[in-house]
Amino acid sequence: MAMAIIFKTVNYTYQPDTPFEQQALDNISVEIPTGSYTALIGHTGSGKSTFLQHLNGLLRPTSGEILIGEQIITTETKNKELGELRKHVGIVFQFPEAQLFEETVIKDIAFAPKNFGKTEAEAEIIARKMARQVGLGEELLTKSPFELSGGQMRRVAIAGILAMEPEVLVLDEPTAGLDPKGRLEMMRMFKRLKEEQNLTVVLVTHQMDDVANYADNVIVLEEGKLIANGTPSEIFSQPDWLVEHHLALPKAGEFALAFEKKTGYKFSTLPLTEVSLARQIASLLHEGGGDVHHG
Amino acid sequence: MDMIEVKNLIFKYPQQEVYNFNNFNLKVKKGEWLAIIGHNGSGKSTLVRLIDGLLAPESGEITVSGIKLTPETVWDVRSKIGMVFQNPDNQFVGANVEDDVAFGLENAAIPREEMLIRVKQALERVGMWKFADHEPVRLSGGQKQRVALAGVIALKPEIVILDEATSMLDPEGRLAVLEIIHELNRVEHLTVISITHDIDEASKAQRVVVLDDGKVVQDDIPAEIFSHRAGLIKIGLEPPFSEKLKEELIKQGIKVPDEYLTKEGMVDWLWQLFSKQ
Repeated sequence: MAMAIIFKTVNYTYQPDTPFEQQALDNISVEIPTGSYTALIGHTGSGKSTFLQHLNGLLRPTSGEILIGEQIITTETKNKELGELRKHVGIVFQFPEAQLFEETVIKDIAFAPKNFGKTEAEAEIIARKMARQVGLGEELLTKSPFELSGGQMRRVAIAGILAMEPEVLVLDEPTAGLDPKGRLEMMRMFKRLKEEQNLTVVLVTHQMDDVANYADNVIVLEEGKLIANGTPSEIFSQPDWLVEHHLALPKAGEFALAFEKKTGYKFSTLPLTEVSLARQIASLLHEGGGDVHHG
Repeated sequence: MDMIEVKNLIFKYPQQEVYNFNNFNLKVKKGEWLAIIGHNGSGKSTLVRLIDGLLAPESGEITVSGIKLTPETVWDVRSKIGMVFQNPDNQFVGANVEDDVAFGLENAAIPREEMLIRVKQALERVGMWKFADHEPVRLSGGQKQRVALAGVIALKPEIVILDEATSMLDPEGRLAVLEIIHELNRVEHLTVISITHDIDEASKAQRVVVLDDGKVVQDDIPAEIFSHRAGLIKIGLEPPFSEKLKEELIKQGIKVPDEYLTKEGMVDWLWQLFSKQ
């Protein structure tokens, strides 16, 4: 089943017709293509969390509609019509380890599939498979999730979402609070899962380096409005625009700009990762500035 | 003068067999900004919880601002220390920003008149006075951490401990919080301990201690720590950007200097390299 997600003129208002009325999503039309790795960026208050909660019907638009696979969600859609959808779109919220509750790791991971109608035995088979997928060793499965380290607990929570066998995996700052090694391992794991299971991934992040390294599609929100949508190189191609909207470049991009300013050399395209920055510097050196502008 | 002295500290959590600290020693000078880095589980947060008396050691001695930490002195010690934690959402108690900052002062039985002045000063200090009547939930992460910091400043501590306080903030929010810390440290001479994974944050400190399994494995100025690329990776930390770039340049067959270079230093070095052509 193709699971493209399409927002059509979606509006969402919190506490409408009260003094606290607040429009959190403002006329959003955008598509998250099937199989894409889409990064959702913007400040706190930009509407990211509200947007996220529309992806599996936790919130329904005040007006407009959302197409997810074959389902249309409007303000009229009833909760009971959304059960099927929630199997297809798994959301990993911030600090998901806070939601663990079962006696053992394996029971926690098996909870969702059991809840969605699998037998105990089927659920356990799925849970074992997902535990392997997220890199949890066999010896941990019978432990209490609360005996594990923070990074391991987070893996348990993520395995629990994967056990629903979703087609779309939504990740809300999944590496917050992890150390750099844990962060890198986790980001590589998502990349691998995406490829192996053909997932569509939606990543909410403040880390522009992750956007540059992993995403192929970027959605930028500001005060509830869609202000840009494109590939990372399109989004990061205009440094002035980024500054204007309080967004940062990936570190390699920032370095490249400082380098250009100091040396007068110009990169043909702004490098966004260390690898491409080093390659471009090397080729500039070898060419002795050959086909590039030197001012 | 030492603001904090930890001597022969021995600690493990109840029901665990492995000791988190086994004869651990550390001194922090008055007015110093010390960054403590180390991977998850290296003992960073446990250490500051011991210093603040939130955890009790099996044996050993902790002295804060000349006061030896004991069950009797724990509140005196805590009055010297302000802590800001990682998740801004877990630190709010007040219905609005002003009440929230006032909460700690009420607990400390500060007279109302002085309380009002201190709350205003603290919120002005972090640039949040204009949000005094806002609900904390409506603030951005960076704003929330600035309010949490105001709550700490209002109590006039001698030491501020940041436990990954900037790790959940966007780049702008992180910068704003770090600038305030910088001023508190350089202008008002507060002693700062920041626990962090963020190399940029650590590089602002005067001294960096690297913890691994409850041991100090390195204790030096930031430049010295950051030049050991392989060492950082080995203990689960990310080298600074300039060091990662060096690694990639080496792969491209470019010879790079051994010493640690900041971003600016790295640009300058490249500029010279290009000029020599």
